[in-house]
Amino acid sequence: MIFRLSAAVLAGRIASWLCRVRGFRGSSMPGLVARKADPDSLRKLAAQVRKGTIVVSGTNGKTTTANMITGVLGDAGYKVVSNREGANMIGGVTSSFVMSSGIDGKIDCDYAVIEIDEASMPGVLKEITPGVVVLTNFFRDQLDRYWELDKVIGVIRDSLREQKNVVMVLNADDPLVAQFGKTTGLPAFFYGLAGTEHSRKTSTQMREARFCPFCGADLNYDFYHYGQLGTYNCLKCSFERPKPRVEALDAGVNGEANECRLFFDRREVSLSIQVQGLYNLYNALAAFSACLQLGIDVKTILKSLNNYQPVTGRMEKFSYKEKNVYLSLVKNPIGFSEVLAALCAAKGSKDVLIAVNDNDADGKDISWLWDVDFEMLASDHRPIRKLICSGVRGEEMALRLKYAGVPVEKIVVNRDLKVAVKNALNGSAGGAYLFSTYTALWNVHKIVKQLADKEDADAQHLSSVS
Amino acid sequence: MLSICHLYPDLLNLYGDRGNIMAFHKRCLWRKIPVKTKCVSLGEDVDFSEHDFVLLGGGSDREQNLISSDLMKRRDNLQEAIENGLVVLAICGGYQLLGGYYLTREGESIPGLDILDFYTQAGDRRMVGNIAVEVELGGRPVQVVGFENHSGQTFLGGIRSLGKVLSGNGNNGRDGLEGARYKNVFCSYLHGPLLPKNNRLTDALISLALRRRGLNYQLKSLDDDFEDQARGVMFKRMGIKVK
Repeated sequence: MIFRLSAAVLAGRIASWLCRVRGFRGSSMPGLVARKADPDSLRKLAAQVRKGTIVVSGTNGKTTTANMITGVLGDAGYKVVSNREGANMIGGVTSSFVMSSGIDGKIDCDYAVIEIDEASMPGVLKEITPGVVVLTNFFRDQLDRYWELDKVIGVIRDSLREQKNVVMVLNADDPLVAQFGKTTGLPAFFYGLAGTEHSRKTSTQMREARFCPFCGADLNYDFYHYGQLGTYNCLKCSFERPKPRVEALDAGVNGEANECRLFFDRREVSLSIQVQGLYNLYNALAAFSACLQLGIDVKTILKSLNNYQPVTGRMEKFSYKEKNVYLSLVKNPIGFSEVLAALCAAKGSKDVLIAVNDNDADGKDISWLWDVDFEMLASDHRPIRKLICSGVRGEEMALRLKYAGVPVEKIVVNRDLKVAVKNALNGSAGGAYLFSTYTALWNVHKIVKQLADKEDADAQHLSSVS
Repeated sequence: MLSICHLYPDLLNLYGDRGNIMAFHKRCLWRKIPVKTKCVSLGEDVDFSEHDFVLLGGGSDREQNLISSDLMKRRDNLQEAIENGLVVLAICGGYQLLGGYYLTREGESIPGLDILDFYTQAGDRRMVGNIAVEVELGGRPVQVVGFENHSGQTFLGGIRSLGKVLSGNGNNGRDGLEGARYKNVFCSYLHGPLLPKNNRLTDALISLALRRRGLNYQLKSLDDDFEDQARGVMFKRMGIKVK
């Protein structure tokens, strides 16, 4: 048995090495190769985790939330296995264990923190046994890649019902997530964000959950944070936003930090993270809750979250000629609208790059761009100097901005990605925001990295001076 | 004042269909043609004869069922307006709804509004991908481009198609036809959305809406550089020569 697992780990390692030598990123390849050699390799490796496995799923925020939890557990002194770069289907999940394993098939780790693609939940949960499952939110993704949202939610629910000894950490503000408390029958730990004076009383964004998931009647909202996230109750049955055990109050932006007061278990603390975007505060709440559930010391959690540095393309920060440059992956209407909201909330003038590809991993259908709220860029476009569109569908992106009402003089199409990034970084504005769909992200990242000093105190990153 | 009616925008909002409203609305505004948009959802009052352009988009199955029963109550009012020249754009699920019936895989026939002469039957493969169609507008062939994603196969009866498929599947992947056209009703499987990139089609719809109002207004030409480029990229990829 153990020989077979060793062979699988070895084969996976060799595959990884070959990928790297040939210049591919190939983060799911080692796992896929290992699974060929031993179809039980994930099950055997995952079973060796000593203290517990934390699974993170949902539409947006999986990678950030999982990385925040990994950071906290690391700072608390534990050894952690995780799929940091977001390879989140069964191959990628297997890879992260294979790459952490010795050639003897033994893994020395206390926790595993694994983000899982929504559609891969049933498959992966057959092979690993989580103690905590975090669900962030459910929004519509590109439809030619995913099934309809109802089906995704149904599949995850069914896979969770077969689990025992799991505590679910659920976003109370999303009715599509909160319903899991009742529909799975598993113990649930809710987190949420209380309304602020800025909360919207109406939502102009398209909403997923107009109707109660239990009785089909209209859901009434007291306010919205974004999308269908807010405080709601069913007008007919008893379904309503559950009372969160961890609740954030007075959420606000202070410079580049997101701050709030946190109430939990009759205690109050302040939480601050150095990443933009309200959606990132939600990610921090999810991570805080998961770590609280694991019994990690509150001070350690808060300190670690405050030190959190985003990974590639999650509002990742660079500096170039004394200006701040932010890179963010965009993949669905709500996520894109939220990074635009963060852009609008930030002070100073900005140049913006939007790179849109339509390869398989981006979603071949880019009509979702028309559901993104670009209109907010038009309503106050003065701080925006230039909007540079690139990628194989850059022309369509430019058209979208024109119909959003952005003055066409500000819209530029640069087919060549390198020209486009340079154009954005050398613009006259005080800061640059780069948004990219999945298959253009690594290229944009590479180009920026070559051009800019990455503002990362991490010594291994200090060598990338242009 | 032209009046746009966006039907069920809160339910039928797959695939950026609201882009069709934006295109119609903006291209009127840019020509200083006064225009307003009214959103109508389940159970809300609407008299179709008071509107000039109606968009019926596509939705997921659950939403489609909800609106189907709501629209059934308004059927006669809609049919009368259509017979009197109301300009309608129906996309994907909205297109299927205007026909006689939808035949499920189990052989069950779900009645449609039965305003246009065609039917749809469930297919066993999804027709997904970029699509180009040649449409006749004002006596001239115009190439339009978009994205299709449907498994229903539509077969036309005594009405004409919107156009001929140049690349892609169209109504059923077999007869080379895409969409349907009856009086001033335009039906299509193309989203992407359809109107912003295909500005000549949009302008044709605006002209028809004006003419129905008795306004024989020659549309002022606009700078369509962005539209031409966005369309051109896709034609080039599909190997279609632009006429």
